Formats: sequence, C-alpha cells, structure tokens
Amino acid sequence: MTASPIVEIRQLSKTYPGAGRPAVDGVDLAIAHGRIFGLLGPNGAGKTTLLSMLCGLLPPSSGSLRIRGQDVRHQDAAIKRRLGLAPQDLALYPYLTARENLAYFGGMLGLHGAALRRRLDYCLDTAGLNDVADRRVETFSGGLKRRLNLVIALLHEPELLILDEPTVGIDPQSRRFIHENLKRLNAEGMSIIYTSHYMEEVEQLCDEVAIIDHGRIIAQGSVDELLAAPREATIELRTSVPPPPAAQAALRALAHVHTAEFDGKFVVLTSAAPQTVAPAAMRLLHENGVETTSLSFGAMHLEQVFLALTGTRLRN
Amino acid sequence: MLTIFHRLAAAVIKEIRLILRDKEALIILFIMPMVFVLILSLALRDSFHERAGVRFALLIVNQDRGPVGDKLVEIFSQSANFRTEVVTANGPVPSAAALDADLRAGRYKFAFRIPPKTSERALRRVQQQLGLQPTGKVPEASVALTLLSDPTVRGDQRALVQAALNRALQGVESGMLLQQFAAIGKRLAPFAANVPGVPALRAPKTLDAFAEVKDPDETGKPYKEQTPTSVQQNAPAWTMLAMFFLVIPLSVTLIKERQVGSLTRLQSMGAPAWVLLAGKILPYFVINQVQLVLILIEGMYVLPLFGGDVLTIGDAPVAIALVSVAASLAAIGFGLLIASFSRTPEQATTFGATSVLVLAAVGGIMVPKLVMPPAMQRLGDLSPMSWGLEGFLDIFVRGGGVAEVLPECSQLLVFAAVCLIIAVWQFARRMANVS
Repeated sequence: MTASPIVEIRQLSKTYPGAGRPAVDGVDLAIAHGRIFGLLGPNGAGKTTLLSMLCGLLPPSSGSLRIRGQDVRHQDAAIKRRLGLAPQDLALYPYLTARENLAYFGGMLGLHGAALRRRLDYCLDTAGLNDVADRRVETFSGGLKRRLNLVIALLHEPELLILDEPTVGIDPQSRRFIHENLKRLNAEGMSIIYTSHYMEEVEQLCDEVAIIDHGRIIAQGSVDELLAAPREATIELRTSVPPPPAAQAALRALAHVHTAEFDGKFVVLTSAAPQTVAPAAMRLLHENGVETTSLSFGAMHLEQVFLALTGTRLRN
Repeated sequence: MLTIFHRLAAAVIKEIRLILRDKEALIILFIMPMVFVLILSLALRDSFHERAGVRFALLIVNQDRGPVGDKLVEIFSQSANFRTEVVTANGPVPSAAALDADLRAGRYKFAFRIPPKTSERALRRVQQQLGLQPTGKVPEASVALTLLSDPTVRGDQRALVQAALNRALQGVESGMLLQQFAAIGKRLAPFAANVPGVPALRAPKTLDAFAEVKDPDETGKPYKEQTPTSVQQNAPAWTMLAMFFLVIPLSVTLIKERQVGSLTRLQSMGAPAWVLLAGKILPYFVINQVQLVLILIEGMYVLPLFGGDVLTIGDAPVAIALVSVAASLAAIGFGLLIASFSRTPEQATTFGATSVLVLAAVGGIMVPKLVMPPAMQRLGDLSPMSWGLEGFLDIFVRGGGVAEVLPECSQLLVFAAVCLIIAVWQFARRMANVS
C-alpha cells in the first residue's frame, strides 16, 4: 500500500527555557496516511512535547512540521480542524455529566443544533457510554473517564487522531474496548498517532512504530521490520535465587556474552550467538548452585528491541 | 459570526453549570455576604445612629383640640432629632396598654400624650397666675404631661428628650404669656397714649433674645463626611467583598482547567483565547450583578422585618449600575490576575482569600473608614474595594449621581484593565512553555 504522508517532521527540536538539554532533539518523521502510528518511549522521552508541537500548542525551537503539506505554524486554524487530540490528562469536567462535557467541547468547536446532537450520539455510542451519559463524570471509573476523554477528540470528525497515552491506569476490559474502537476507526480511514510506554499495546495495534528516547528517534519502521532487524539477541533467564557475585562474574566472562545485567532473580544477557550462550549460562548457574526456572531468547518483541537499542529497560 | 455565538454560549452554559453545582462557591458568593449584611446592619444599627446624630421615633397622641397641642406637634415635627408620628383626637386613640406594647416592641423610642382640653386648662392656669381670672373660681392645677419611653432607651437619651419636651413647653408658656401681655397692652393703649413717657406695649408672638443653639450646618459639612446608616454602610460594603470573593471560584476553576489539560485540549481545537476568557468573564459578571440586587433587596425589604433601618439607595439607578459594572470588572480582573500567577487551586484559594480580606479590611469594608485615623484612611484609599464602596455611598448617602461616581468608576476600570493586561501577558507566557 502506497500512502501519502499525513505528517512530515524535519529536524524538529524543542528546548524549554532553562533546560539543560533539548526535550526533542532533531526528530525526522514521516507518518503515512491511514495508518496507526505508534510512538514508543519511556516517560519523559519527549513524546508529549513532540505531540504538543504537532498540535500547534508549543512553538518548536527549530525544524519544520507539516500536516498534509501545510506548515503547522502558518496554517493554524485549518490544521486544527483536521486534528483530534486526546491528551494524556483526563481533560474533563467532573461536575458535568458525560453528555454535558461533550456538549461543551462540541460547542467550543462551533457545533450546534442537530449536527451537535448527531455527534454527541455518535461519541456516546462509540465510547459505550449511553447508559451513563447523564451521570456526573466524578462518579465514573478510570476506564469510563478514559473512554470519554478519547471520544471528545472525535467530536469534529478529525482526519488525524492523536492519542497521548490513552490507556494509562485502566482495566483490561476498557483497554480492549478502546483498542477495538481504534481499529474500527482506522478501518474507516482515520489516521491515528498513538503514544505509549506499553510495548505490547503498540505491538498489537500499530502498523508503524518510532521509538523515542531522550528526545531522539532511535528506530523507526513497521513492527515486523523492527523485530526482524539483525542485532544482538537478548537472552532472559529467571533463577531460583539471585545469582551470587561469583556467578555474576562468571556469566560476564562467558564466551560470546556481550553484556550482562542482573536484577534480583532476573538475568539479561546480550549476545550474537544465543544458541551457544543459553545452555552455557544455565550450566554455569547450576554449577554455582542456582537453578534456572525460565529461559527465553530468539522471539523478539519490542521490549527487547528497545533494550537492545538503548541498553536500558523501559522506565515505568 | 454565528459560530462565535455558539462557542460563547457553550462556554457560558458550562461555567454556569459548574458554579451552580459548586455548593462551597454558592455559599461564599451569596449566603455569606447576605448573612453578614443582616447581622452587622442590626448589630451596628445604634452606633451608626449615634455618629449620624440622634433621630428618635416619637409618637404624640394629641387629644387636645387647641393651640397648645398644635404648637407642640409643630415643634417636634420640625425637629431634626425626631421622626414624629401624630395621633389626633379625630382618630382612634391608642389605649395605655397598646402604647406600652408599641414602646416595648421598639416601634417608637418615646411617646407622650397631650390630654383633652390642655389648651383651655393651660390658659386658665396662666390667667389665674397673672391674676386675670375672676377670683373665687376653683384654682386650676399645672397640666401634667408624661413622657413614656422604650425600656431599652439609655438614661442620658431619656434625659435629653425630657429636656427637649420641657423646653418646648416653656416655649408654649412664654407664647401664652406674650398673648396675655398683648391683650393687656391693647386694653391699656388708650391710657398710655395720654401718659407721656409710657410707650405703647408691643407684644410679639415670640421672643428671640438668644439664637438657637444648633449643630454646625449639615450642608456646610464636607461632602465625604456625611454619615451613612448602618445598612447604608454594610450593604454596599459586603456587596464589594462578595463581588471580590469570586476570585476564589474563578481562579480555582481556571487553574483546574489548566491542570487537567482541558485548556490544552481547547487550544488544540482552535478555540480562540478571547472566547475562553469571555466565557469566564460573562457568567461571573452576571453573578456579581445578582449579588448586588439580592443584597439591595435584603436591605430594603428584609432587614426592616428584623427591626433594622430601611436601606435607602438614593435615586440614581444608572449611577448604581455604573459602579456595579466597574466594581465587577475590577473583581474579575483581580481574579484572573490571581489565577494567572497561581500554580495550584490551593495557592489560588490561600492567596485569593488573604488578599481579598486584606483589601477589605484596609478599604473600610469591615470597619468603616469613618472610624479610622487619617493615616489608615489614606491607606484605605488604595483599596479597589474602597473605591466601589465610596461609589455606592456617594449615591446612597450623599445623593450623588453619575457625575459624582465617575472618579471611582474610572479608578475601578483602570484597575480592571491593568489586572487583565498583566493576567493575559502571564497566561501567554505560561502557554508558550507548557510541556
């Protein structure tokens, strides 16, 4: 599928006044139309800053940002009509009901009368909030609030939906509900940018992924491409007891082992020859009185890609 | 154009819903000031009366059908120190018990009865004393008038009123004396004309060897020193405080909107900043006007039911509206200023409440400026709440109109504009740095 880019970002940087280093640092990104694009990175990696610039909320320090070929800085109002942002915070009024919240934001978008009512019904349907539409939001569970927070971004039928951590702190049922809806909206033609620090979510949902850390894009491509990229494999072991220092030293010294990390009963090794290293490591631990309770290598997932790229785990 | 109207309508409806569902805000904005007006107007009623000069409610039951009764009624009706009501012998005369009950209820502070035939009896007594009545008649006793009073009236005030009554009676006596002289003079006139050195006796109606002792002329008093009644001071004072207390709900809702990201969302939707601002200002402006109207109604109609003075508000409704609009804009500007510099609702509540209470204390809201020493009064002139209060007092107490309140309104509007400019500048600075 050849898709024209809906978002083009070139050499985008943002340094907050008084900050030592840039929050976003020379980012280049092209996001194709009609895709679900995942922006993956730990908290504080620069995701929200990047999205704020994309939505025209924050002026970039340098670089360019185009949506549908229009410069965000020059075409503010026109571009904003194409975007729907669901911010990370629950941008809701607790004293108002779900319907009143939607009516307010719809009104601020300039919707009124029958058009507003139609969009209210659509949004309540989409979020599955019909039964609680006239209850005050302060009485809602975290999951219901997240759903409402999301559908407010759909009020004006945007071309591009931008979701900043839309599933933080909610139950699996609401998360599944949100994911199903996003897939359906995407199938109907909506482009979606989805930020998260949950690897599995992005893996399941997104066509394309960019990994961001310390304000820089460190990898970009389809999920399959990222997982297939040849690089050092990660070998993860769980042990019966934390390995003693002698065992840790021996593992570090093992042939073909590049790095070794220890976290209690959790051991992570990187190596270009996992088939050789895995049995050797198990044997060595056994000789030091430590039994291996689980072992995995080979089947890469994004968590491991991230680890391999940055040498650190995703900070939760 | 229509879109802007719908956006503004949505913003106003949202804000009104939020306020109506915020019980604490409703208590602060409406209940608190109305309770304060009621309690303090009643509590301070008498001390304001004393400052303004005493004016007692007096009932005269005039059962005399002669000149003495008429003269006494005239003297007390014309006195600035009495608010006199008269019951004449033509109407139903209250019984002693009814009179007593009225006094106990505080309806009148003082009452006296002028008994039937007082004029005739007094005249007979004067003529007998002057030896003008044929001898052998039954001697007439002095006519006794009794001054009745509300049992709560202080002794010194009672003594004052007694003295005033005695002075009035002496005036009547000397008038009667002069009349008798006039009659004698008339009879002696033919004889006097024939006796050299004896002047024709003239008998004026009154003598005025001494000028009456009076307060300095009230109209000559400096304009600003005319004193309000308790309710004239308290109603506008607490209205000003109530108006400025919107600082708390206004700034708290604004900061919460910023904290939870709804301002970010609205910005991302392209909602113009001025619509957001107008959506805040309009509902609070309406609330301020409702506060004023409620407190005026309370002062005019509710307070008298509790024994307080009726609030008189002059006759310049346009001037009242002008002060109210200017004061409201000043309060809203101040609220936005506090909101723009506070990071959390707690900061806004603490700083908002403290600054409003200090401005109120300094500005003569809690303690009238009249009782403050001059240095404190000058300090109080710096408080915008004092400007609003003085504006209302110009109208209520000093009979001022639009021209008289223009200086205060200008001060309030300049204050509002300065606050608004600083607040918008600070908001813009913050917005440029959101993370």
